Amino acid sequence: MNNNIDVLIIGAGPAGVAAGIGAKQEGAENVVVLERDWDLGGILQQCIHPGFGLRTFREELTGPEYMHRFIQQAHDAGVEFRTNTMVFQIDKDKNSVWTMNKERGIECLNPKSIVLTMGCRERPLGAIRIPGTRPAGIYTAGTAQRFVNMEGYMPGKKAVILGSGDIGLIMARRMIWEGAEVEGVYEVMSWPGGLRRNIAQCLDDYGIPFHLKTTVTKIHGKDRLEGVTVAEVDDKMNPIKGTERFIECDTLLLAIGLIPENELSRMAGIEIHPVTGGPVVNDLLQTSNPKIFAAGNVVIVYDLVDNVSDEGLIAGKNAAKYALGKLSNKLKKIPVKGGENVRLYSPQFVTGESDTIIYMRVTHPIEGACKVVAEPGLFTQRLRYARPGEMNEVRLKAEQIQAKNPDEIIVDIKPL
Amino acid sequence: MEERKFICVSCPLGCGLNVTLDDNGEVVSVTGNNCPRGYAYAKSEVKDPRRVFASTVRVRNGKLPVCPIRSKTPAPKEKLFEIAEEVAKLEVIAPIKIGQVLIHNVCGTDVDIVASRDLSCCS
Repeated sequence: MNNNIDVLIIGAGPAGVAAGIGAKQEGAENVVVLERDWDLGGILQQCIHPGFGLRTFREELTGPEYMHRFIQQAHDAGVEFRTNTMVFQIDKDKNSVWTMNKERGIECLNPKSIVLTMGCRERPLGAIRIPGTRPAGIYTAGTAQRFVNMEGYMPGKKAVILGSGDIGLIMARRMIWEGAEVEGVYEVMSWPGGLRRNIAQCLDDYGIPFHLKTTVTKIHGKDRLEGVTVAEVDDKMNPIKGTERFIECDTLLLAIGLIPENELSRMAGIEIHPVTGGPVVNDLLQTSNPKIFAAGNVVIVYDLVDNVSDEGLIAGKNAAKYALGKLSNKLKKIPVKGGENVRLYSPQFVTGESDTIIYMRVTHPIEGACKVVAEPGLFTQRLRYARPGEMNEVRLKAEQIQAKNPDEIIVDIKPL
Repeated sequence: MEERKFICVSCPLGCGLNVTLDDNGEVVSVTGNNCPRGYAYAKSEVKDPRRVFASTVRVRNGKLPVCPIRSKTPAPKEKLFEIAEEVAKLEVIAPIKIGQVLIHNVCGTDVDIVASRDLSCCS
C-alpha cells in the first residue's frame, strides 16, 4: 500500500492543500498529504483576523475560513490527509519519506513524486543577539498568536513589539482587543516590514506608536521580563548614544522576519538558494531533483496566501504529471537573474513550458514612479512605487518565452 | 472645505487616499485610490467608520479551549471595545460549526458574531 502513492505532499497548510487539489485535477490517483498537527490548515488556523483570499474569493475571509474552503475542495477531489504524522527523514538517494504516527507507527513511503510544502518559521531571538538577560515573557509574534487564538492564554499585560512584520502588527491589535497595553512597535530599518494597511488598521486605529530606525538594545529582568531598553540607530544600524530609553513591560514580541523551513529539503539533498533560503525551482516548481517539487513559503516568503495557494496548485499539477510520466525530462533551463534593485526572486529558472509569474522584492523602497521589467524585452509594467514589504511580479507567457528563446532573463525594478 | 488622509484597508495595496470634504462633511473628491473600493472606503471612513472584529470565545468540551469568531459584517469602529467585552463573556459548547451565529445583533449594532471555524468535541 505504502508504495502505491502517486503524489506525496508534506504539510497541510495553504500550499499543501492546494497542491493536493492540483494533483487530483491533473489525474493522479493516490494523492496523500501528511500533516504533523492534529488538524489541517497550517498556520492559517491561528490567523483569525480577516484579510485572506480577496483575490481568490472576492471577499475578505479569516484564515480558518479561507482554509475551510480549500480543505472542502480537497476532500471533494479525493485527496487523502494523514494528520498527527511527522516526516522525520527523506533519503537522499532513494527519496524515501520516513513518517511517524501513533497508530501507524514508523513507515517508509516511496511515492512517485513529492511536493514540499512545509511553510516557514519565524526568526527567533537568537538570530539577533540582544544583550541582557533571558527571562520569560519573550515570544515570537506567531507563538503569541497561537497562545491567544488557539490555546486561550495571554502572554502578558504590557507588550513591546520588536520588528514590524505583519504578524507583529496583527498581534499588536489582538493584544489591545484582549485588554493588554502595547507600548509601541520598534523597527530597526527605515521602512516598515509589513503592509501599510496593517499599520493603519492595527496601529494607527489604536494610537500605538510606531518607531522606525529604533531597536531593542537590552533585555531586563531575571525570572520574568521587567523591561527593555530601546535606542535609535544610525545608517549602519548601530545604536546612537544618548537615545536610549527604558520601557517597563512584561512581554516582548518579535516580528523580525520569516525563514523558509527546509530541514527536510536539505536531507533530501536538493539545492537551496542562498538568498531566498528555499529550494531552487523552475516555473513548474520542480527542484534540482526532478522528482521533488516545492511550493509556498518553503520556497520564498510571500505576502499573500492567495499566491501561496496558486503556487501550491501549480506544484501539485506538475508533480502529478511527473508521477504519471507526462513531464519531459529534457526541459529547457533558462536562468532568471535579479537586477541591481532586486533582493530576491523566484523561480530561478524557466522552462518556457508554462505561463509563469516571477515574484520578487526590491532591496530598498523606491518612492515614486518606477517600472518592473524582464529583459530581454519580455515584460514591462509601470508602478507608482516599489517597497520591500510588498512583492512585485513579472508575468510571462509561455509563447513569448519560446519565441524569444533568451539565454537568460533578467528581472529588475527601475526608477523612472 | 477640509482635506483628510487615509490609508485604504480594503486590500493589501494600502492606497494613500486624499479626501476632500465640503462644509457639511460630505465627500467631494477622493484621489490616490486605484479602484472603486477606495472611494467607498473613504466615504464610509468619514461618515461611519467600520471594521471587522475578530477574536475568540471560550469553549466547553472542545478540542481547543477557544474558538475563533468574527463579526459577520464590519461593525462600527467606536463599538469595537464594547463588542470585545460582550464576546469575552460568552462560553460556547462544542461541537461548533463554521458560520454558526453565536451572538445576534451584538451590542445593538445589527451585526452578528459568528464562529469562523469548525470545532469538534474533545473526546
